Amino acid sequence: MITINNISKSYNGVEVLNIDSIDIPKGQNFGLVGNNGAGKTTLFSLLLDLIQPTTGQISSGDIVVSETEDWKPYTSAFIDESFLIGYLTPEEYFYFIGDLRGVDKPEIDSFLSDFADFFHDEILDKKKYLRDLSKGNQKKVGIVAALIGNPEVVILDEPFANLDPTTQIRLKGILKDITEQKQTTVLISSHDLMHVTDVCKRIVVLEKGEVVKDITTTPETLKELEEYFSQ
Amino acid sequence: MYRTFISLKWKEFRRSSYFEAALAIKILMILGIIYFGGIAIFFGAIGYKLLQKLIPEVDPLLTVNQFLIYWILFDLGLRYFIQQMPVMNIKPLMIIPIKRQKVVKFLLLKTSTSFFNILPLLFFIPFSIALLVEGYHPLYVLGWFAGIVSLIFMNNYVVYLINKTNLYFAIIVGGAIIMLALQNYAIFDITEYAYIFFHGMYTKPVWVFIPLSLCVLAYYANYKYYLNHFYIDGAVSKKEEKVRALDLKFIDHLGKVAPFLKNDIKMIVRNARPKQVLLMSFLFLFYGLIFYTQEVYRDMPAFLAFASMFVTGGFLLSFGQLVPSWDSEYYKLMMSQNIPYREYLTSKLALMVFATVVSTVLSLPYLYFGWDIYKMILAGASFNIGLNSFITLYGGALNRVPMELNVKAKAFQNTNGFNLTQMLISIPKIAGPMIIFYIPYKLISFDAGIIILALSGIIGLIFYNPFLNLIERIYQNQKYKTIAAFAEKK
Repeated sequence: MITINNISKSYNGVEVLNIDSIDIPKGQNFGLVGNNGAGKTTLFSLLLDLIQPTTGQISSGDIVVSETEDWKPYTSAFIDESFLIGYLTPEEYFYFIGDLRGVDKPEIDSFLSDFADFFHDEILDKKKYLRDLSKGNQKKVGIVAALIGNPEVVILDEPFANLDPTTQIRLKGILKDITEQKQTTVLISSHDLMHVTDVCKRIVVLEKGEVVKDITTTPETLKELEEYFSQ
Repeated sequence: MYRTFISLKWKEFRRSSYFEAALAIKILMILGIIYFGGIAIFFGAIGYKLLQKLIPEVDPLLTVNQFLIYWILFDLGLRYFIQQMPVMNIKPLMIIPIKRQKVVKFLLLKTSTSFFNILPLLFFIPFSIALLVEGYHPLYVLGWFAGIVSLIFMNNYVVYLINKTNLYFAIIVGGAIIMLALQNYAIFDITEYAYIFFHGMYTKPVWVFIPLSLCVLAYYANYKYYLNHFYIDGAVSKKEEKVRALDLKFIDHLGKVAPFLKNDIKMIVRNARPKQVLLMSFLFLFYGLIFYTQEVYRDMPAFLAFASMFVTGGFLLSFGQLVPSWDSEYYKLMMSQNIPYREYLTSKLALMVFATVVSTVLSLPYLYFGWDIYKMILAGASFNIGLNSFITLYGGALNRVPMELNVKAKAFQNTNGFNLTQMLISIPKIAGPMIIFYIPYKLISFDAGIIILALSGIIGLIFYNPFLNLIERIYQNQKYKTIAAFAEKK
């Protein structure tokens, strides 16, 4: 589904990312780990064509993302708060995203009812603007909005950060579900090794912009990762 | 301890966006400050002589004292609009072992360095010196000056007490308008009474204690308030607003533009900055009063054409020049979603056109100045809708200034959106209507000028698609630059 080819990104001559090749097949649950500054967010921004690669290219489906915008209808993402519109209520935000992705109001309502547990009664009908929600609740809204309209590619940066334990566990369930049922390719990054190994079938470790490990998840993966990061 | 605070504030000032800004902006800012400061000093220095010339039979000091009441109200209104207590900055100081009294005192003292306090001083100091030169008694002048200074600072502190709700603003502005109207129709003249007090500060220096104690009282009230609310859930906290539910279903009929239009309307009514722009655009409506009432301009219709464009173009100009900055807070979302630029721009354009039409209706009272003037306003509106809208959007597309939607603009902050391209773009906006009107006016007749100016708007309709394509292309070509610029924090 996603092919990364020879991609690199430099700022003022300093290289922050350099990946030879990664191929992510359709329906894979792909995890990205690495310390701060390893290049995780840079890679996701390149995937979404928010920054320009210095060399190389990324294809989604058969489309080179920096050339046309045809990948947008089937791709969605939640990277940070700049993906939220602060002056909308959560409901208004979901309807707006629905409008953009061709999902009408009743469909959104039934879609949201599936997430009642996940929202834990703190999101809907609260008469609050998104900018007044707590960080964790903002994240919940962003993640759920990224799932509207059955996208084929979902990109989530640090989805577990700021969430309470109950929600983290529920989120893991949701992420596993969507890849099993709908052939959705999910890309997430995380600092939480346990969650990543739980959810992802494949884990790539980045360090200083380069791929240092590319593992298919097995019961031993968590240990392997913990050892790697405690060096 | 105060030295540490001052050094902190100095760093904040030095490292603020003003100084980090590009050189051209810096120069413009400095020019702006020199301009306003210069005007104040100039009029302070020649004010006495000027009043003497205009109203020879009355003592100039009396005239000034008579109108001080309006100045005070105007000053308060202006401060209300712009001045904000910089409370958020004290959050990091809260758990540091410094007495809160000290922090609060410093915070309050710091507000006295505001431009709003310095500007009137730049007027009143030379004015007082002029009084001394004219032979007024030094001691009395000193008393009067002390009274004025107290009033300036009283306003400075009062505004923090009342800017918590819009009610007081309405009272101040409403009160001022009623007083002006009553005075205009010679029913009740407030200046007759206010003047007793203001002149009293000169004739009986003891009276100075009234403004002085009011000033101290206002300071103390602030001090008490901030001391008692020195908690992160108190005065320091960001206010959570009540949701304004809007029923915008009727827009759904408009098809693909609807989601963007609904969003834009919510953006305008729910954020501080766009609301400010809305109010400013309303003030633009009164722009004509300056030009239409002066005999001088009656014989220079090109200037009238320029003014007429401004009367209806307030919202169009001030809102349009900040497209797409309005969406800078969530620009990454917009760019990663499947968003057609066309609909995005059409929505903004629709709002601008709508506002121009509303302004045209609201400017009907200008019929008072004659049908010729109103014809000109109509022609200006047509120019705005057809041509100016595209020029402004084009300029906006080149303007990559991130904006905090829910934070009021500070004085001079507007210049942040200023650069060479912006300046070049503003030339056709201003000179356009003047030239389009003036040439046929000179060659044929007044009405020909009006007709040509009105017809110029039709160009926009004819070239609607190519114009939008052109702007769309800028959006596409500048995409990465814009995303990067909007991601920068202020």
